[in-house]
Amino acid sequence: MAEPTRPTEPIIEVRGLYKHYPLTRGVVIRKQVGAVRAVDGVDLDLFAGETLGVVGESGCGKSTLAKLLVNLERPTRGSIRYKGEDITRLSARALKAVRRNIQMVFQDPYTSLNPRMTVGDIVGEPYEIHPEAAPKGDRRRRVRELLDVVGLDPEYVNRYPHQFSGGQRQRIGIARGLALRPEVIVADEPVSALDVSVQAQVVNLLERLQGEFGLSYVFIAHDLSIVRHISDRVAVMYLGRIVETGRDAEIYDHPTHPYTQALLSAVPVPDPSVRERRAAAGGNGGRIILSGDVPSPTNVPSGCRFRTRCWKAQERCAREEPELAVPERFREAVGPARHDSACHFAEERCVVPSD
Amino acid sequence: MSPDTPPDGPGTRERAPGIPPAGPGTLLEVRDLRVEFRTRDGVAKAVDGVSWSVAAGETLAVLGESGSGKSVTAQAVMGILDTPPGRITGGEILFRGRDLLKLKEGERRRIRGAGMAMVFQDALSSLNPVLTVGDQLGEMFTVHRGMSRKDARAKAVELMDRVRIPAAAERVGQYPHQFSGGMRQRIMIAMALALEPDLIIADEPTTALDVTVQAQVMDLLAELRRELGMGLVLITHDLGVVADVADRIAVMYAGRIVETAPVHDLYKAPAHPYTRGLLDSIPRLDRKGQELYAIKGLPPNLTAVPSGCAFHPRCPMARDVCRTDEPDLSEVSRDRGSACFFWRECLRG
Repeated sequence: MAEPTRPTEPIIEVRGLYKHYPLTRGVVIRKQVGAVRAVDGVDLDLFAGETLGVVGESGCGKSTLAKLLVNLERPTRGSIRYKGEDITRLSARALKAVRRNIQMVFQDPYTSLNPRMTVGDIVGEPYEIHPEAAPKGDRRRRVRELLDVVGLDPEYVNRYPHQFSGGQRQRIGIARGLALRPEVIVADEPVSALDVSVQAQVVNLLERLQGEFGLSYVFIAHDLSIVRHISDRVAVMYLGRIVETGRDAEIYDHPTHPYTQALLSAVPVPDPSVRERRAAAGGNGGRIILSGDVPSPTNVPSGCRFRTRCWKAQERCAREEPELAVPERFREAVGPARHDSACHFAEERCVVPSD
Repeated sequence: MSPDTPPDGPGTRERAPGIPPAGPGTLLEVRDLRVEFRTRDGVAKAVDGVSWSVAAGETLAVLGESGSGKSVTAQAVMGILDTPPGRITGGEILFRGRDLLKLKEGERRRIRGAGMAMVFQDALSSLNPVLTVGDQLGEMFTVHRGMSRKDARAKAVELMDRVRIPAAAERVGQYPHQFSGGMRQRIMIAMALALEPDLIIADEPTTALDVTVQAQVMDLLAELRRELGMGLVLITHDLGVVADVADRIAVMYAGRIVETAPVHDLYKAPAHPYTRGLLDSIPRLDRKGQELYAIKGLPPNLTAVPSGCAFHPRCPMARDVCRTDEPDLSEVSRDRGSACFFWRECLRG
């Protein structure tokens, strides 16, 4: 990876991770006719105390990746090492101990909380599963503390989820994620379902908690501006694979993969003067409008999986799958363009017009 | 001219401050619209005295968060509000000068589709899953234009071409689930365009779509609007999309318009603290690593809207008068209004 200066070992190390869901036909005699290649060869590292942002469009496999990281799904192949230990091979008992340290915050605060449980029971439930984390007599107090930490009134312990707004429910989900004092939190679109004015509150909360508890985050989202705000490093996914990864400024200001460039240029900028600058630049004004849709993960194109929508695609792209590494032309370079990008024809391109 | 049109024609009556006067180009004018919902917890004033207008060739963005009343306004305008529990308790909706609220359902239907059409957020649940897209598009022509099925089918293919669905002739016989999200939204747009309306109301048309597909769909909408000279009312919560396509913007909060302005003016210097808060809470490059600005608290429950200015419990500028008196939209400039007592201060930043 392009992080030679980092002294520490990664806290999570993912190598060659695959998750294929079989497609079967027939009832009595089930025959596998294909597979949904949701995660299709992912390598990534997460270091202690950092936030890794994962961006990509729907169907790119980012949510499956999240489930694999917290072991809600077993991978088809590949390894996920937590502090050097491959958690995909652990026994149920050993896995339980590891799970305490890797917790998840879900996207939809409306369906990820049990409507029949009180807030106190929801936030305290992890202690039922991991009784060693808190002695029984102490749990009530801990739950109230957690509510306080996430900015909810501790007096609310006996209320039910429906009595809360979306933003408050997401705080409940975060409190539950924190209950076992994990080291890693995998947050899958934690603010996407929230109103703009409430999103900022939850993002601030996540950042504050990171400092307070020394958490490492895997922050999965499709909102590129929020990911940039919160992330130290960013990985861009397309159709089950990471196509580009680097520090946030490397990805946002110096993208070299055409998909990242298209993605960034498509984001509407909340500044009407950009529209004029784009118009003045002529054509699409630097905006890349991709044609077509993402191919189905049951039928991944040969070679580079982005080639069917790529304006640079050549014959080589159909033949040869580009690996995720620093592209050859940037290998000698110094500067932000030198980062991992899985493209045969990687080059820099300014995608957002500036003043 | 219908008997409902005032004798002196539209545009000469008193106008709301900051809303440009209705002129000959004005397609739709909403005046002091009020919509209530009866709920178990009491009466919710979902839309509480909203006025705006849109001209031919113009794009008006109605911006607001969930519960601000933006979608209810659109439903009332289209005449598809669920009544009950909803009820229009006041105001006028003037389409080319005729008050739609005074029309009979039959007349209203003729305007719906041919005069104005709507694009919904969720194309999958807005299309009929058991009819082919060709049948659904063709229905517009058989029902409204009395065409034969065969001609209607040809028209459907033409429309699908127009919204750039590849291989339209082959796909016209397919069902909605066979199309991707972006393609389904194109079909929705095709359906709205079918009878060549003067006005399209698009309610969060790209919210359910991915960024790259969102760009395609917004591009298509903008281009068709230019080509056909339609008016477009864009209902959205996305400040990015607004900056990208809108000419004018009306910001809603708790059922009211709190600010209305040409899009450049608003982004340059908002004249209402709520708008300012929304703009400030967008993550920006130069503020990375710092806390995001967050509007404190939550949007109000519509059955218990705070006294005075509905935004006062969340407002950093609130003073005593804000708790007791409700600010009307005051005129900031000829085409700009703000419902804040202290808009001058807010403008200064």
